[in-house]
Amino acid sequence: MSRKQVKGEYIETDTGNKVARKAVLVGTQHIMLGGKTVIQADAMIRGDLARTSQPSSAPGAAPGSTTAVAIGRYCFLSKGCCLRPPGRIYKGSFTYLPLRLGDHVFVGEGTVVQAATIGSHVHIGQNVVIGEFAIIKDYVRVLDGAVVPPNMVIPSFSIVAGQPARVVGEVPEGGHEAFELRELYKTVGNNPQPLPV
Amino acid sequence: MASFTPYTYIQCPCHDSTVQGRTADDASPTVSHELNEDDDDGHAFDPRAQRSIFSLYPLEYLLYCDVCHQIRCPRCVSEELVTIYCPSCLFEVGSSSLKTEGNRCTRSCFQCPICIGPLAVQALESPPESAPVLSEGAGTPIPSASWVLTCSYCHWNSSEIGVKFDKPQGIFAQLQKLRYGEDQSKHVISGDSSPTKPESIPDTSKARFAALKSFYGSQTVNANPSAGLSGLGDYGLNSPGALTRIMSIYSGNNMNGLKQKNKPTIMREADSHNEGFRLTDLDESSAISQLRRDGMDGTITSAQAKVQVEEGAQFADQLWPIPYLLRTKRSKRCPVCRHIISKPEPKVSNTRWRIRLAANNNAIPTISIKPLNPPPGSGSGLLRPMRPAQFLLTFKNPLFDDVKVTLATPATTPGRFASRVTVLCPEFSIDANPDNDMYLDDVLKDGEKERQRQRGDEGIHQAEAGKIWERGRNWVSIVVEVVPASLRLDPSSVSFRTEGGSEPDLSTLREDEDILEIPMFVRLEWESEASHDQVGATISREKDAREKRELAYWCAIGIGRISQE
Repeated sequence: MSRKQVKGEYIETDTGNKVARKAVLVGTQHIMLGGKTVIQADAMIRGDLARTSQPSSAPGAAPGSTTAVAIGRYCFLSKGCCLRPPGRIYKGSFTYLPLRLGDHVFVGEGTVVQAATIGSHVHIGQNVVIGEFAIIKDYVRVLDGAVVPPNMVIPSFSIVAGQPARVVGEVPEGGHEAFELRELYKTVGNNPQPLPV
Repeated sequence: MASFTPYTYIQCPCHDSTVQGRTADDASPTVSHELNEDDDDGHAFDPRAQRSIFSLYPLEYLLYCDVCHQIRCPRCVSEELVTIYCPSCLFEVGSSSLKTEGNRCTRSCFQCPICIGPLAVQALESPPESAPVLSEGAGTPIPSASWVLTCSYCHWNSSEIGVKFDKPQGIFAQLQKLRYGEDQSKHVISGDSSPTKPESIPDTSKARFAALKSFYGSQTVNANPSAGLSGLGDYGLNSPGALTRIMSIYSGNNMNGLKQKNKPTIMREADSHNEGFRLTDLDESSAISQLRRDGMDGTITSAQAKVQVEEGAQFADQLWPIPYLLRTKRSKRCPVCRHIISKPEPKVSNTRWRIRLAANNNAIPTISIKPLNPPPGSGSGLLRPMRPAQFLLTFKNPLFDDVKVTLATPATTPGRFASRVTVLCPEFSIDANPDNDMYLDDVLKDGEKERQRQRGDEGIHQAEAGKIWERGRNWVSIVVEVVPASLRLDPSSVSFRTEGGSEPDLSTLREDEDILEIPMFVRLEWESEASHDQVGATISREKDAREKRELAYWCAIGIGRISQE
């Protein structure tokens, strides 16, 4: 293990995930990674905030049934971002609910995400706050510094900015390919490759 | 100073109305281009000209009509609604209900009137306190139920304006009832002129407009049944009144006109509340006293007033929750040939597109800009005046055919500060975009890297005139050398341009005048499969007949800011 640590900054898994050794993953049994996802240093995923098990079932019930954070393929979690499942009072008791990310989701530096669902091909800028139970659909760009209020629904092909966030524009027809993170995925890791032209 | 990111804006040909006005038949690309070039011969494109900003677009915003073979921008395409939906609940709204209900969501989607965040329905746990409730509709009794709309961003809730709901569903209807009384449409339709208390009749602008419209419609019909303005409402010819009016205009005999003269009619203006007439309330004492009591904190900002559905709100307690404005999915048509160049799937949840002829996938190479020798450790990133700097422009070909590119720039940039520009390799060809096979891509890329490494070993790579800097599978890099102008307002300076010998413009530096922006004329030539969708004649020919294509456009390339030394 010590030999490996010398080897590189990232742990690369069989499914192609690249997780920085300095990333903070809490409650890993509740975190699902779809593969080919990059988690940079100091990124935090709060898997410990899983759905509180029902009183009927035993407290040490099978893990995995209570996924707290589900992440699709080709996601990119930048330095210092935080994924935190949202929580609320449900049927009289407080519980956390899962946070789901689709594919090709970019999360910028210092961003806090507490959404319920984030679709595929979503770009979230730096220092953004996504409020609890927000729903972000596919092909959405959240500009730097935006604060998405809790419970907000952002429809597909929106560009969102401001505090509180509002839809400020539409993703143009030619802008869909810019959400692809395959190339960005290759530029990090223990054997980074330069971005192709 | 804010950091500068290089940019490329492309000019849509629609700035030149003669091109757009041409019919589809004679809009063969070569002809229009030759004409274009003739037009532009005398003057190169100036990206700083006042009107240029309206025709310059980032590449992603441009579409490409594959019938006219021309660039189309958001300003020149014609749009058609495909789907109308609420951006909050994502429910589709039919166009018929749009006509009756208006362009806002009639479910339970509301925005906070203070911060425009989304409002959520919440149960009030505690019984309503006896807070001073400022209810506008004083007649409406506040129901004893306890659901309110709350904003989780600024913690506003609807009880601040005295609005509470009986049930958590159908908020829009409940709110309409609270705001406008039992039925706001009644007083419009029934023209009975006995308003017992006119103040209680709501003043929605919609209702007033409907009342005014019906009043003036009836007035004109009464005054002149044959030439009434009754067709005004629907602008159509489906009403017999409008038809006879048009007939009377165009037919020779002025029977109707004579009749009109014989019968001078007096049209009455609307003068009662039922007819949509409203006296301006000049008594502002209540507003003044409220201002005195609440101070400026009780007033609203102009931005808040603007997003309200009804105009005229002045104080925070007159702000109502805003039902979400509906949003649309739209298809786009080429303005010349009327072909659809972009069409989304109609379903709200579907993010696919049936047709999407984006310019960056179908015609125009992307241009990326970076400095050739990035100066190590210089934080400013500004261009030094009068010091030559070299930049790499990388053209990436999206087409599956080889493209020949010809570039042209003016020797000096337009504007007051003339920077010198030299394109070291103005003519080159880019190889075709290979099939987008991922695995193949990876394999080939490795080989490419090998080559790159070899090239790196060759030693110092010199920028040579007439030679491309680097070449990839579907991209080519070339070197552009610029000599930034000095930004000093010195008429004797070489780089300071005085327009037409007139008095030198010595006013201070304008906004973004320090950006070195290069106008560049790009001409693309390629051969592709002949399009079969035009005329039957092409189909009869061989299938692999190659067709020569040509596309030429101006673009503005922002290289960097010049430092103000």
